[in-house]
Amino acid sequence: MATNLKPVDVAVIGLGAAGGVAVLPLARAGLKVAALEAGSWMKPGDFRPDEVHNNIRRMVTTGRKGWNEIPTFRTGPDQRARRFTIPPMMNAVGGTSIHWDGNSWRFHPWDFKVRSETIRRYGASAIPEGSTVEDWPLSYDDLEPFYDTIEYEVGVSGKAGNLQGQIDPAGNVFEGPRKREYPMPPLRGSEFIDMLMTGARKVNMHPHRGPAAINSRPYGGRSACVYHGFCDTGGCHVSAKNSTMVTTIPAALKTENLTIFERSQATRIVSDNNGKVTGVQYIRDGQEYFQPAKAVLLGSYTYENVRLLLLSKSKAFPNGLANNHGQVGKNYIGHWASRETAALFPNDLNIWYGALAQNVVVNDWADDSFDHTGLGFIGGASLTVNHEVHPIASANAPTFAKAPQWGSKYKAYLKENAGRWVGCYAQCNTLPYENTYLDLDPEVKDPLGDPVCRITSGKKINEPRASLYASNKAAEWLRAAGAIEVAVNAGPAEGPNLSVHGVGGTRMGKDPAASVVDPWGFCHEAPNLGIVSGSVMCTHGARNPTETIQALAWRTADHLVKSWKSIAG
Amino acid sequence: MKNKNSRKAQEQKVEASGLDAAQPDVIRDMASITRREMIAGVTLSGATLVGAAFIPVSAIQAAPQAAQATAVKPAAAFLPEQRRTLEAFIDRIIPRDENGPGAVESGAAEYIDRSFVEFLAAEKESFTAGLAAVDAFARTSQGAPFAELSPEKRDAVLTAIDSNQAPNLRAFFNRARRLTLEGMFCDPYWGGNKNFAGWDLIRYPGVRLNVTAEDQKMSKPVAAVHRSAYSASGEGENHGH
Repeated sequence: MATNLKPVDVAVIGLGAAGGVAVLPLARAGLKVAALEAGSWMKPGDFRPDEVHNNIRRMVTTGRKGWNEIPTFRTGPDQRARRFTIPPMMNAVGGTSIHWDGNSWRFHPWDFKVRSETIRRYGASAIPEGSTVEDWPLSYDDLEPFYDTIEYEVGVSGKAGNLQGQIDPAGNVFEGPRKREYPMPPLRGSEFIDMLMTGARKVNMHPHRGPAAINSRPYGGRSACVYHGFCDTGGCHVSAKNSTMVTTIPAALKTENLTIFERSQATRIVSDNNGKVTGVQYIRDGQEYFQPAKAVLLGSYTYENVRLLLLSKSKAFPNGLANNHGQVGKNYIGHWASRETAALFPNDLNIWYGALAQNVVVNDWADDSFDHTGLGFIGGASLTVNHEVHPIASANAPTFAKAPQWGSKYKAYLKENAGRWVGCYAQCNTLPYENTYLDLDPEVKDPLGDPVCRITSGKKINEPRASLYASNKAAEWLRAAGAIEVAVNAGPAEGPNLSVHGVGGTRMGKDPAASVVDPWGFCHEAPNLGIVSGSVMCTHGARNPTETIQALAWRTADHLVKSWKSIAG
Repeated sequence: MKNKNSRKAQEQKVEASGLDAAQPDVIRDMASITRREMIAGVTLSGATLVGAAFIPVSAIQAAPQAAQATAVKPAAAFLPEQRRTLEAFIDRIIPRDENGPGAVESGAAEYIDRSFVEFLAAEKESFTAGLAAVDAFARTSQGAPFAELSPEKRDAVLTAIDSNQAPNLRAFFNRARRLTLEGMFCDPYWGGNKNFAGWDLIRYPGVRLNVTAEDQKMSKPVAAVHRSAYSASGEGENHGH
């Protein structure tokens, strides 16, 4: 029997990048918040400058929820799905914001209105076949104040390229207008970065330093980055990188309105006969509890959100919570993003240290920043070349047909070249499709006996074309920067399988028949259930999603505070 | 520390809510850190787990976090004859030659053997079956078990596998190669990269906790720091250089 706990105002499920942000405006407004987190607290001393620990064995985590719920994957409805070997996310207070790479971007204004802008500029036939893309129910301008709030609350380093319409070529000249400059200048430069900036300018591209939620100087009571090179999939030992573990969660705890339940795994969201949610059932140390709440914010990862909704059946929701229109799991988007362009240089690059977010980015071939007439695709990709290469990863070097994959010749090749190559990371604007969705796997279950999430992702044409187009531009850039060998991969056919940038699945919109949550992030069918997660996104931008997830989470929590009586009354 | 205070506040909150108090650190550290190895070719390339590999779902092991500065307890997953085949095989992937120690002298077999004790336990059966298949193929194609062949004949076996003349060994080859690279270039804490031979080979300058602008220069070599992330002392532990 579940133990009934004292009711609270808001129960938040998951204390990661999104839930960890949402608790702050709630707690500051005086609402009593109970946060359920499947992992537990970590501390800076838990982190290791070790590739095996971080990247190979994925040991930066607490708890086993992520491992127990690894999704399955298939490329079509007739296939039996197979399971992945590693989870996309970690568990801890702070969630995967602990081991993310800190690349902290705003989406482009175009991302919010892909459908209407494409039809306006290129005609309705330019919308990729099978895509279910809709405009977001909000614009970049609507979200701008919340981007601004996040950048100053968590601390983002960067250089504005569009300050209230004033274009500055030192920043991203393609970005949407921002109200203020970043709170900190970009991360430290290097000779490698200078070389890439010079190369891009030679071929008339507009390189700039990427924005990072990493302190370039002391900020928010935390120290500046020490560039040790174990940022990716590792935690920060000096707390220079923003994780909600060191920023918004401690700030929310100071209000004394937030209670955190560690090792607490939500198993069902409970609803009454009127379709109102009444609280959250969870398991902690083998015991079942029920946390009653006037409102619930669901803040776990995309796969987990969809799964928990589909598992939370009731009289009012026989097919899963907020799923009477069959929209939960639809419009899922695995971000089309990979390193398709590799380049070999004639000299040691010394990019072992630093951070993935210590980088150079070219945005000329993303969004709708160039004319797509006759190209056969819409959107494009941002291109990033970065510091932080670990020794094992460097030894997995492409050999550009200069050496075999083993033996003395391979060893000699590695000796000369392991420290002389880079991969360029291309992140595409990615759309939702009919053939790409999430549901529950009919066979694979977690140890509690609940099915895991199943990803179905069919063939696409638009994104591979966009990726290849941008990757060929990357090749041009890298040659101009001095590369002696460049190779471009065609990329995958079916595209993203298990994604750490998986979004959609509980899409935001005005129409309950085509979306799960309303323009503020609350379920059409269960109005006191909000979702704070990338799962509410309608498209994926050509950049890392975290800052947009956090801006949306803040906005949804802020809306709950302002509309408390109508939502929770 | 900031977190200490937060946790204290939080423990009080939990008590006030009628639950047992949040567990102290010692319990937290015992709370399972689950680890499983990822499989050959699966790397986290930005947003996607590229080249998705799949293994049977079983044996999700729990273990305390490896936070101690002491060495990993040596252990072996393989039988002596399996270990012998493994060593002979990875010796041809990165051989000892004029460019220095090979995978075996560098402890890569030790790294791999230890990996299968726990992290790769779920995969052990398929890997040891691969070792047996290498021996069987060596017998039919070269007349003796792999470890008893001359270096030239061993290379002939690898060449055959690499050119897909032994198609059932392709996956094993990729996996063994990937693990050899891990053992050659890992932190020595894990049993491989002995005397930092792997890091010296590729001029990886080692673990530094505080990296200066000077340390990130491209035009000037950075001095190698021979130091494990797990060494007790903070500074420059040199091994034979």
